[in-house]
Amino acid sequence: MKATGVSARRRTFAILLLALPAGLIVATSVGSVALPVASVLASVLSHLGLTVSPSLPPAAEAILWSVRLPRVLLAALVGGGLGLVGAALQSLFRNPMADSGLLGVGPGAALGAVIAVQVGLQNVLLGLPLAAFAGALAAVFAVYALAHAGGRPSLQGLLLTGIAVSALAAAATSVLLVSAEEYRVRTILFWLSGSLEGRGWEHTRLGAAFILAGSGALLLVARPLDVLSLGDEEASSLSLPVHRTRMAIFCLASLVAGPATALAGSVPFVGLVAPHALRPLVGPLARHLLPASFLGGALLVVLADLAARSLNARIDLPLGSLTAFFGAPYFLIALRASEGRS
Amino acid sequence: MILLEARDLVVDRGRSHVLRGASLALHAGEALALVGPNAAGKSTLLRTMAGLLRASAGTVRLKERILSAWERDALARAVALVSAEDEGPATLHVADRVALGRYPHRGPFRPLTAHDHEAVDRALAQAGIEHLAARPLGTLSAGERQLAAVARGLAQEPEVLLLDEPAAHLDVGHQLALFAVLDDVRRRGVAVLAVVHDLQRAGAWAERMALLFGGRVIDEGAPAAVLAGPGAAEAFGVAIRAHRVAELDHPLYSFTGRSARP
Repeated sequence: MKATGVSARRRTFAILLLALPAGLIVATSVGSVALPVASVLASVLSHLGLTVSPSLPPAAEAILWSVRLPRVLLAALVGGGLGLVGAALQSLFRNPMADSGLLGVGPGAALGAVIAVQVGLQNVLLGLPLAAFAGALAAVFAVYALAHAGGRPSLQGLLLTGIAVSALAAAATSVLLVSAEEYRVRTILFWLSGSLEGRGWEHTRLGAAFILAGSGALLLVARPLDVLSLGDEEASSLSLPVHRTRMAIFCLASLVAGPATALAGSVPFVGLVAPHALRPLVGPLARHLLPASFLGGALLVVLADLAARSLNARIDLPLGSLTAFFGAPYFLIALRASEGRS
Repeated sequence: MILLEARDLVVDRGRSHVLRGASLALHAGEALALVGPNAAGKSTLLRTMAGLLRASAGTVRLKERILSAWERDALARAVALVSAEDEGPATLHVADRVALGRYPHRGPFRPLTAHDHEAVDRALAQAGIEHLAARPLGTLSAGERQLAAVARGLAQEPEVLLLDEPAAHLDVGHQLALFAVLDDVRRRGVAVLAVVHDLQRAGAWAERMALLFGGRVIDEGAPAAVLAGPGAAEAFGVAIRAHRVAELDHPLYSFTGRSARP
């Protein structure tokens, strides 16, 4: 059993490490203007200084480098961040249904985005994502501060505070939404349903800075996360400063999930599906599950975004709806399977 | 030699005192059973002695040094606590769960060394669960899970092992296996203090027994003497009688209820 555990883990990582670059390249080559995979590869290699043969015509080169690549890379970053944060929060809350929604990040980002559109910030460079990020951070800060109002919060207290703050932000969003002018409502709805349409390098760079730094920091606290998953008392008796560790992980998770949500809107189920599918293959230890969930989440969102822009020739489908379309049935099937077993 | 000593502990939970001047000393290499009726404060005393709860008055000393003067990790290398509720993710393998007992030795970042892996293997062997090393926790029985929790405590390589009702919910076979493990641990020089609910089992296992009642240790000594004393009868509200059986080296006890509890 031990042998199959290790080999299943190695095989899973090998598959993910091959599938993600393959997915990135396919997603880059498919679109309204098809770019041959070989030319995409050659162009990327020449930009990396590895070859010197410019293989694409200038127009195609422009599509590849200023439209496709930043969007596909951002999809990978958003998906990876959401997958990894989902895995970390599931260990933190000792609940397989935990994800970044519990931080108040989603509704907070939505409120920030709605306010930005109301005051006309959506036409300013990075106005919408920065406002959404500010909203996400404000919500997380509110959860943190309110949970600490009566002393150190219990796990339950932190969870319920997150739910209450999320409900408040969602209520405020609805109020602003019904009082907004019609053309603004469309912009907001588009953002709320999740999308990567029109995202360029400025978005990708912003996302990369926060998501990669936050994910790396979460990987560093993999062992404390494992100790926390044993329960507060055992963790504390093993010399882990439980409260400080929990709040540090909470803040790092927000630092990843906040920008991911701010840049892509709501992309549900990635943080649940990626860890849930990979846990049986790589095990629950954070040093394995977190990186696997990053790779798995990245692959999921790259493919979902590919579907979002290629299933319908005329318009982009909402990315968040697509992840929900496959995420929700996946969960129902997984639930059935686990209930059938017990 | 006194290894861990609680003196005149007062611990409050909410507005009421749970401990009201409890004192208890644990000597190196001894097996001490802590008994008492429900809500006597047994778990509170154990957790306070492990440094998890703060006393509002009184002191706990480990090797004559007050507990709050110990670094957290140094304390966890000397004192391990195993409680009945110890759980872990269902998919976590037993060996990985036991290896987390090395956290006080390695901290968050330093990788485990060969010595750490030896300690984990030794802990699995002492708890008699090497054959379960690669099993996920979710597939174990309650008794096997409890042994895995004890193995985690042993992987800490402590000088003091504290256990809160380690045999709760276990069938008699697993109870015997567990207390045999604790005997073996004690013979290796580790001081073992266990809260034990089953007086019969406590009397058979322990060298010394401490009776906690109303937040104070009201009697301590050889199990047979404590259980025969007036304190035990008053604390549990029952009459306790010892019966000598020729082929056993410890007495069996019978309990008869009294109509009015004090």
